[in-house]
Amino acid sequence: MSESSNNKKNKEDRRKFIVTTTIGASAACALFPLASGIPSLLDPATKESGNTEVPWTKITKLASLPKDGTPTKFEVILAKVRDAWTTYTNIPAGAVYLARSGDQVTAFNLKCPHLGCAVDYRKKSNDYFCPCHNSTFAIDGSVTTENSPSPRGMDTMDTKVDKGVVWIRFQQFRPNIAEKVPV
Amino acid sequence: MIKGIVNWIDDRSGIKGLVQEALYEKVPGGARWRYVWGSCLTFVFFTQVITGTLLWMFYSPSTQTAWESVYFLEYQVAGGWFLRGVHHYMAQAMIVLLVLHLMQVVIDGAYKAPRELNFWFGILMMGVTLALSLTGYLLPWDQKGYWATAVATNLMAEVPLIGPMIQKVVVGGVEYGHHTLTRFFALHAGILPASLIGLVVAHIYLFRRHGIHVKEPRPKKDSYFWPDQILKDAVACLAVLLAVVTLTIYFHGAPLGPPADPSNEFPARPEWYFLFLFQLLKYVPAFWGAVIIPVFLVLWMFLQPFIGKSKAGHKFNVGFWWALIGGSVFLTFLAVSEDQANVKHGAAIEEAKWQADRVIEIANAEGIPPMGAVSLLREDPQNKGRRLFAAHCASCHRYNGHDGRGYPVDDKQSAADLAGFASVEWITELLQYDHYVSDKYFGGTKFKDGTMARKVLAKYTKEENKLLPDIARLLADGADLPYEKRLEKEERDGLLSLYYNDDLHFEDGRACIECHDIDSEEEGSAPDLTGYGSKEWLIAFIDNPEDSRFYGKKNDRMPCYGRDDKLKPEDIEILADWIRATPASE
Repeated sequence: MSESSNNKKNKEDRRKFIVTTTIGASAACALFPLASGIPSLLDPATKESGNTEVPWTKITKLASLPKDGTPTKFEVILAKVRDAWTTYTNIPAGAVYLARSGDQVTAFNLKCPHLGCAVDYRKKSNDYFCPCHNSTFAIDGSVTTENSPSPRGMDTMDTKVDKGVVWIRFQQFRPNIAEKVPV
Repeated sequence: MIKGIVNWIDDRSGIKGLVQEALYEKVPGGARWRYVWGSCLTFVFFTQVITGTLLWMFYSPSTQTAWESVYFLEYQVAGGWFLRGVHHYMAQAMIVLLVLHLMQVVIDGAYKAPRELNFWFGILMMGVTLALSLTGYLLPWDQKGYWATAVATNLMAEVPLIGPMIQKVVVGGVEYGHHTLTRFFALHAGILPASLIGLVVAHIYLFRRHGIHVKEPRPKKDSYFWPDQILKDAVACLAVLLAVVTLTIYFHGAPLGPPADPSNEFPARPEWYFLFLFQLLKYVPAFWGAVIIPVFLVLWMFLQPFIGKSKAGHKFNVGFWWALIGGSVFLTFLAVSEDQANVKHGAAIEEAKWQADRVIEIANAEGIPPMGAVSLLREDPQNKGRRLFAAHCASCHRYNGHDGRGYPVDDKQSAADLAGFASVEWITELLQYDHYVSDKYFGGTKFKDGTMARKVLAKYTKEENKLLPDIARLLADGADLPYEKRLEKEERDGLLSLYYNDDLHFEDGRACIECHDIDSEEEGSAPDLTGYGSKEWLIAFIDNPEDSRFYGKKNDRMPCYGRDDKLKPEDIEILADWIRATPASE
């Protein structure tokens, strides 16, 4: 190999090294700022929903529910709710319909299982109606219309009656799927 | 395929030409390390915009949520401490790089014609950067930011005529509050960065228009921006990045002090690069520091390109900058060394650290009420206890030699040191004559010359002194301290027998019980020691030491805090709990 071609090769190697290093260092600097925040950005997606033990919450007295099974709407006041850093105590966290049959109580979440609008109880037709996308539910919560936008009936929750007081385990469920899955 | 897309875009945008133009900018005299500072600053600013936007997703500007949201990011969100740390230390790096860039421009004479305009833009950008630092310092709404920024905004009022109005507009009212935060946040995340982006664009445009200023004779032959200069720029940026990451990891993110509290004093200190101004204000009136000197300096900076036309003028400019930097370094040094020599300042920093650790401990365990974290600290019995002690007890008593919070006390100690009060160790020492009459116990009171000291403790023989720890164990048992174990019944009975001197261990035949009652209804001539140091005993004692159960008429200056309404009953209880809570060593 002649000296000039050797020189040329050295020069080419040097340039290649410079270009690779430059691109590498620039890319590191360009990507670093965003990368430094990725774990924080994605933090909510990696956290469990707190779907642990659902506490029993006192709603009302059994005697206050109509004996004929007409649903009544109640606020659910939870003893403790955490929103990021804030801990609220005794704060309204949602609403339910309670319907009595004998000494048993059924609780429906107010939210439509379709996309989460608030469902109305219609006295005239004695059924539930979602004013957003017109899903209708029978008094037992089941879907009544064919091609109903809602893929499942209204969401029920655990209830118990203890010494004349109605307790429920208030939960939210994932919208727009056929199964009832707590969030 | 990729080539096709690039060509398609190029046909419609001319992007290739732009990139070409940007990369093949001529660098007269060859690539040099001294040209990297501008690129580093651009990189740092870019990082601040990105990390700042990410921080924005977590920040909530109000007096009840600012500290809280920052705390949540720092301690509850994955990698939050790192993100915030990078933003924090990049801001410090920006100041350092700014000075380096400025000095390179000044020394090389790159501020002179035809680059005057660009130099002025640079000066403006420096002002905007300092404003970004100042506004960012307040946003976490911790004690440090709160008290320091209050000083800065008070200085604004020094501007003649419109000063007070400027201050009100910036603060969003007369007092610091929600609108101070919303305004500072809008400045910090909106107005100032937007201005800086505009200025950066103009700065780079003008820089490209005039090209790199090179000192003749040229050190090497000319080359192009790509790849020689960009390599140096990229390596320098990478070095800045590594330094910032190192600092972030070493300090585990940016500091977060206790939440801002106007009723909780804190020594205001600005960020380190403003310390020279802080120190200057110790020597010159605020009007000089806030108005006259800055106006003069800015005026000189804008005239600098014209002053620098002559050789002497340029030398003057360079010399003046060095003098400014040297002076600032010297003032910073003075500020730091004065603070280091100040014991009270050190105690205040330690106290703030304690408060921060404490409030974070509570917040981690219980969350934060809607009232905000400051209420956690205000209502925390541990924090309240030490503050009550400092305010009401520490002018006579001490706690481990300090005022309960760690501050030294100016007044001479005139009552007992209550750290470890009523513990076995504390009482054992108390019963030894030398300790009893020392400042740590009754040395500052009239009891130093009382019957107990002169006629009892001073007269014990060596053998008798050996029995005192047992008496102490009996008395400490009555205190039922949370950190000491109770005695077994048999052991207690044995010690009671010693207290009654049943077996005549004390040679003169006298027994403690003759003056000090314990576990009986009778009243002795000296304080009743039944349940001595217990919560009930201590509350009753603080309430009224002049009660016949305690000192009676012999009380020496101890105020009757409850009887005379000097303290509320709940505060007395907090105080009693706090005194009893921990052994002396903690």
